[in-house]
Amino acid sequence: MADQLVVEHLTKIYERGDILALDDISFSVVKGEFLVVIGLSGSGKSTLLRCINRLIEPTQGKVYFDGVDVTAASGGELRRLRRKMGMIYQQFNLVKRSSVLTNVLAGRLGYVNPWMSAVHRFPREDIEMGLKNLERVGISDQAYTRADNLSGGQQQRVGIARALMQEPELLMADEPVSALDPATSHSVMKYLEQMNQEDGVTVITSLHFLSLARRYGTRILALKDGKIVFEGLPSEIDEARFKEIYGEEAEHVEVR
Amino acid sequence: MKDRYYAGFMTQRPAFFTEFSKGLSRIRRRFLVVLTDLFALMYLWTLASYCVNDFFYHVRNFTSLPWWVMLIVAVEVAAFWEAFGVSIGMRLLGLRLRPIEEHRLGQHVVRYILWHISPLFLFRLLWKSDAVPWHESVSGLKTVRASEIAMTPRPWYTRSWSVAAVLIMLLSLGAAMLITKVDFYALSTGAPKMMPLWRGLVSPNWALLGEGVRLLIVTVFMALMATIFAVIIAVPLSFFAARNLMHGVVGQAVYIIVRTIADIMRSLNVIIWAIVFIVWVRAGAFSGMLALFVQATANLIKLYSERLESIDPGPPEAIRATGGNRLQVVIFGVIPQIVNPYLSFTLYQWDINVRMSTIIGLVGGGGIGQLLFQYMRIWDYRSAGMMLLLITIIVWAIDYMSSRLRARLN
Repeated sequence: MADQLVVEHLTKIYERGDILALDDISFSVVKGEFLVVIGLSGSGKSTLLRCINRLIEPTQGKVYFDGVDVTAASGGELRRLRRKMGMIYQQFNLVKRSSVLTNVLAGRLGYVNPWMSAVHRFPREDIEMGLKNLERVGISDQAYTRADNLSGGQQQRVGIARALMQEPELLMADEPVSALDPATSHSVMKYLEQMNQEDGVTVITSLHFLSLARRYGTRILALKDGKIVFEGLPSEIDEARFKEIYGEEAEHVEVR
Repeated sequence: MKDRYYAGFMTQRPAFFTEFSKGLSRIRRRFLVVLTDLFALMYLWTLASYCVNDFFYHVRNFTSLPWWVMLIVAVEVAAFWEAFGVSIGMRLLGLRLRPIEEHRLGQHVVRYILWHISPLFLFRLLWKSDAVPWHESVSGLKTVRASEIAMTPRPWYTRSWSVAAVLIMLLSLGAAMLITKVDFYALSTGAPKMMPLWRGLVSPNWALLGEGVRLLIVTVFMALMATIFAVIIAVPLSFFAARNLMHGVVGQAVYIIVRTIADIMRSLNVIIWAIVFIVWVRAGAFSGMLALFVQATANLIKLYSERLESIDPGPPEAIRATGGNRLQVVIFGVIPQIVNPYLSFTLYQWDINVRMSTIIGLVGGGGIGQLLFQYMRIWDYRSAGMMLLLITIIVWAIDYMSSRLRARLN
């Protein structure tokens, strides 16, 4: 099967502080994969995800999505590429003062007429689709409450619904469960798994806990200081590999 | 440890230039120590001589010696201080002296003497950025960061820098009292002269109520008009004055220009703007309104743009990731975060404008203030009392209203 996403020699240097965040990263993702990126804080996981849809501008290297060069795209073309890549975040990134439905509808912004959306007018089909997606993540009764009245787990589910609105082919999740408790973490991860298995959406997610990565990932990519130190199946990570990725002093922490 | 790329790794500069700038940044702290000490010593000296002159000779004079004598003495004292103890500059900039090897006799004296030729050391830096200054290498006393050596705790009055700091505070207080001619005697004996004013304030001239209310309405509407115009100008401009929204060279230039103009507008007092506009459009409510408008615009640009700079960057990022364009990022990611703070700042500015508009009357900017100062000038305290009463009521009412509304918004 053809690779859906190809990353070649991706390098990112933050000019402020001259920090090398990503150092010559190359990998590819096949459609339908559930790729988990692990690594310590500051190892470059977030930067990697954001370089794929160019929320952060990479310094060097190429990213191809369905054969299209993302790094060369500009303006409208980049926006059309971005709408095929859903993204959810550690801090949910919802507009707290807006209603849940408005937050979910924001996922359609890449599709709708910009001038109509400027006055908060959305097509009827989009509103119905929004309510359907809220139902799918189990919070349809909260559609008209303010986003900050929801619990952390519910907010993340709004984030998932927003990503679903994009009808994405690729879903990127930047530590989606780091701000949540273990039980909620699993419910959120299950939604990602569901999207992956039922809708065939490719998932790339960064995670802190190896136990979660083993449970959900079909493949694991480990970063350390901006370099790939491991790439392979979850079962291949043994004690030695673990120490290599997380350092000598690291201990296993389990999330069940 | 992460790999680091230094800022200079791509550009080639002449070797001596990089050496020199590296060396300069290394000695920058020590240079600032000398400047701080000189400043502190000169400050101490001028204030002390002012106090002595005023107190003993009843002359208001800051200096009693030629300035160059004072400077030379200050330089010598600073050099001495830095060679033998912890000076106030060393304390503030976190530097200490430490012997390199074992304690040698007279090394402080050697350092003090050689300190005077240390400026020549700047030439040495052209070739060798990490060279050790002569007065340090010869005397064997090295300047180090305070954090590198453990200090034994000692009572504050045995430390020269803390004694100097206390002296500076005491002398500042003393000199300030002499300079501003603080006169508690006049404050206590002059009180009875105020009786007509107090009497006027408690029995205001009610005949002026109608005229007063009419001018009060003028005042409130001056403030309202100024606020509305200011909002119309400041809301769009605040986006240009927010650092996090202005990218690129053009963006940065616009940011700097808008910020600078707003800062200049803000730094001039509203009274000065009133005088400017009185010349421009004649005295009256319109000039007062314009003065308030300028002040309010500058103020609101600052308040708004600082609010914009502190928004949560997450939602705009999320909108960008869904494929939204710039307009959609602002409308869905930025504006929902700022609507309430903007409303709250606007109410607050209106509140300020009402208070200011009474002052503007002082220079002829119209409104109730103008009448107040007219009556004050002809010692008609009963009429002035009426105006003061009305001003107090309206300021209190608007303050109360705006604070209640703002509480609801937050």
